[in-house]
Amino acid sequence: MSAPAVAAATGARLVAAEASSLNATLHWSQALLDAEARRVEASPGGPLHAVPVAIKDNIVTTDAPTTCASRILEGYVSPYDATAVTRLRSAGAMIAAKTNMDEFAMGSSTEHSAFGRVQHPLDPSRVPGGSSGGSAALVAAGVVPAALGSETGGSVRQPASFCGVVGVKPSYGRVSRFGLVAFGSSLDCISVFGRTVDDASKVLAAMSGHDPLDRTTLERPAMVPPAPRRDLSGLRIGLPREYFPADLHPGVAAAMERTKTAARELGAELVDVSLPNSPYAVPTYYIVAPAEAAANLARFDGVRYGPRKVGPGGDIRALYQATRGHGFGPEVQRRILVGTYVLSAGYYDAYYGKAQRMRARIAEDFRRVFAGGVDLLLTPTTPTPAFRAGEKTEDPVSMYLADIFVCAISLAGLPALSLPVGRTEGLPVGAQLIAPLLEDERMLAAAAALERVVAAEAEVR
Amino acid sequence: MSIGRDEVLHVARLAELAVRDEDLNRLVDQLNRIVDYVAQLDRVPADGAADLFLPGPRQVELREDVPGSVPLARPPAELSPEFADGFFLVPRHGAMEDL
Amino acid sequence: MRWETVIGLEVHVQLRTRTKMFCGCRTTFGDPPNTNVCPTCLGLPGALPMPNAEAIRLAARGAIALGCSVHPTSVFARKNYFYPDLPKGYQISQFDRPLATAGRVAFESPERGRVEVGITRLHLEEDAGKLVHDRFPGKTAIDLNRAGTPLAEIVSEPDLRSPAEARAYLTTLRQILVYAGVSDCSMEQGSLRVDANISIRRPGDPKLGTKAEVKNLNSFANVERALEAERERQVDRAERGERIAQVTLLYDAGTGQVRELRSKEESHDYRYFPDPDLPPLVLASEWIAEQRAGLPELPEARRARLEVAYGLPAYDARVLTSEIALAEYFESVVSAGVEAKTAANWVMGDVMTTFNESGGFPVEAGRLAGLVTLVRDGVVSHQAAKRVYAELAQHPGEEPKGAAERLGLVQVSDQGALTGWVEQVLAAHPAEVARFRGGETKLMGFFVGQVMKRSQGKADPKGVQRVLQEKFG
Repeated sequence: MSAPAVAAATGARLVAAEASSLNATLHWSQALLDAEARRVEASPGGPLHAVPVAIKDNIVTTDAPTTCASRILEGYVSPYDATAVTRLRSAGAMIAAKTNMDEFAMGSSTEHSAFGRVQHPLDPSRVPGGSSGGSAALVAAGVVPAALGSETGGSVRQPASFCGVVGVKPSYGRVSRFGLVAFGSSLDCISVFGRTVDDASKVLAAMSGHDPLDRTTLERPAMVPPAPRRDLSGLRIGLPREYFPADLHPGVAAAMERTKTAARELGAELVDVSLPNSPYAVPTYYIVAPAEAAANLARFDGVRYGPRKVGPGGDIRALYQATRGHGFGPEVQRRILVGTYVLSAGYYDAYYGKAQRMRARIAEDFRRVFAGGVDLLLTPTTPTPAFRAGEKTEDPVSMYLADIFVCAISLAGLPALSLPVGRTEGLPVGAQLIAPLLEDERMLAAAAALERVVAAEAEVR
Repeated sequence: MSIGRDEVLHVARLAELAVRDEDLNRLVDQLNRIVDYVAQLDRVPADGAADLFLPGPRQVELREDVPGSVPLARPPAELSPEFADGFFLVPRHGAMEDL
Repeated sequence: MRWETVIGLEVHVQLRTRTKMFCGCRTTFGDPPNTNVCPTCLGLPGALPMPNAEAIRLAARGAIALGCSVHPTSVFARKNYFYPDLPKGYQISQFDRPLATAGRVAFESPERGRVEVGITRLHLEEDAGKLVHDRFPGKTAIDLNRAGTPLAEIVSEPDLRSPAEARAYLTTLRQILVYAGVSDCSMEQGSLRVDANISIRRPGDPKLGTKAEVKNLNSFANVERALEAERERQVDRAERGERIAQVTLLYDAGTGQVRELRSKEESHDYRYFPDPDLPPLVLASEWIAEQRAGLPELPEARRARLEVAYGLPAYDARVLTSEIALAEYFESVVSAGVEAKTAANWVMGDVMTTFNESGGFPVEAGRLAGLVTLVRDGVVSHQAAKRVYAELAQHPGEEPKGAAERLGLVQVSDQGALTGWVEQVLAAHPAEVARFRGGETKLMGFFVGQVMKRSQGKADPKGVQRVLQEKFG
């Protein structure tokens, strides 16, 4: 298909998606899509030639707004493009739309958007997961073959699992964060949704590699999509017992059994391992991430960009407090307050100091297990399939527990992905593969092999 | 660990967030729940000064002192809610330091 | 009742780099507002910091020049607070792992002789933007050109014991940093800023009293005045038995008074934590050694050398080394053949005047040497030479002899002409001649003066004196 034809078809699908109240997109236009098509036609031959890619709305672009699904950035159009976007374009991709998300990437259901929640593509009463729910839904609904999301504590793997698509988080430092609106700087990773492992690999590879504009990127060249593995022979795959609790949702448990069987049949050796500090991952995350976020969101003050509100006092303080008080949604405000609290005088050691030490222990758990001769780890991605909208919004902590299997990986900076491995009562289930630091390619190759034999859309029981 | 109303208001002040009176009680309750949850880490023994764990490079790569920055497709005047004569404008200080 | 004054100073200097601390924007002073900006220093969403190698090099050299230990590993930290000149809502600075610690600066105290002040730390940070308050009614205007400029913060131990010492310490600190090429250290241009902490206590009391912080100081003289005003205020309160509260004060140069800040903020809670956008700063020991080796001769060492090598008095050495450029110029003049003390006098006099006015040396060292030779040879008088110097400063292309001739300042040394004038004068003043022969030898000056008048200043006074002495036998 020619690029303009792809642009037209993608636009038609976006129109249909909007009509269906999926609410996955925040900004897109046929005019922009067509402009992308013209640009791509003028220099064909890139590895992603004419591939339409949707972009989560916390990744800045110059030709469409970037709002992070927040009122505080309503109408903000960035004067520069994110490195990831520039690199995708250089590879020939067409930017299709900016997608809906939890506000400032804080959430696990995309119910915390200032512009309405995103529906699960298979069941409108359910959530697609979050915070990258819009991107996940668009790929799952077949509107685009690939989309960018961002991960801080599982925000691509978890919605990928809920929506039944592939979600890949690279090793921290392999994809530039320049242009990703920061939430938890030491955790944030631009990540990819795809219909297949191969699609996701290609997009990831196109963006990856050292960037002098981001000093947390590693001095490594870009990833190369790995050659597909025929099977998993020679691989030792660890099953951390902390990730297979007795009370795991039966549908998820069944899907995992099927996946284990498939892996064995492909020649992998499965072994029991332990990551004993895993239970502390979520509380650790909910100290570290809000602390970094509180500082990262201090720049949203109504002074230099974004809409502005001035309170009754009429002075600079009134500007800050009203702009931020009105502009940030309740979940964002909660996290800013928690983050400010844990860093404040007298509490640093009790919270942030302890969390940093625990983070080191969690990372050490993984290092030890991998050094003990394990090549990859296999776990469920989420404890349950997609839950219903409104089910967890009353109690913030219950929402946080949705991240229980994905969080530790983010803290350790490791690469991981979610692969759809079945359905339970019609809802997708994802399995998670985790690789040692910088072994992204190993993980992708293994996932591609599994993908060929696991029936992702089949009911597991 | 219990956070009282006053402490929440103090933290909100540090973060320059206006909290409406009608939201304060619920906010205090929710914050306490979150902080009680993360306080599980209290159980972790303090095992000497562990180094800060941050993924990414072991040391920062430095930039040569040569002019050249990321260009702006749009000037500050077009980004700012209030701009005149080349300056960003805000209401005068009032309650903050008058330097 | 006597009180001991305890003063510590925090000095911020802008490092002499072309670009900012964390982005490639220029640091040029005086450009139109908000034109040297980019996503990073504007604090735009998604922007990230990129540290400047030269800033780090200059800060390390400054630290070494101040006797500090430069740490192989240091960490950037976020200092969090809200202010309109702070785009990110935090400043990237250094907190518990600074670049350098434990230095010392020796200076001449006006009261105690040679004093060593401890330097607690020197660390790197980025500058904030500039606020303009009076341009738009009811509004504050913000210019972010300065935001992100590299700064070194230098904190002294509370080792200073008087406002005058504070001033002397600042003069020496500035001198060292200018010598080391670290900063221009100009308070007028804002490349050096001072915050002072002052408290009082009973002599012999080991505990420190409650300190006041004084800000908004724009000259070394005002530092001294502000501290004097605050010391007086504290002593006054203490003697009346009133408590001294920990306050922040602004100095008002107009009234010479300090006043408390209008807002009684509780002391800031900056919530420091290591900046996750910046891995640790690691400096190899070879690199640190290179910076040490690359430092020029510092003021104290140069002063000592000038005294010894050129036999100059301590006062001269101090004046000549007050600016590294002056010291270098002095040594060039001596190399060009001028005797050391003569050279010193010239440099401390006319040369320094033009240097202070223009910041440069319009008369290069060789030309000055030529002028001094003319004086030595009696071609021009010393007075005339000063005029010739002024002329050379205006016309850099001219040679001293040419300028002197053009100005008609070349002295007459011809024996015949001098004798003629002397005889005329002696003939015209017989009474004074008689008094001179009678013992009033002071009148020699009178005769010389009369000859100078008659010759319209052109006679070589030394030659005149010789002729007169011969006449009088």
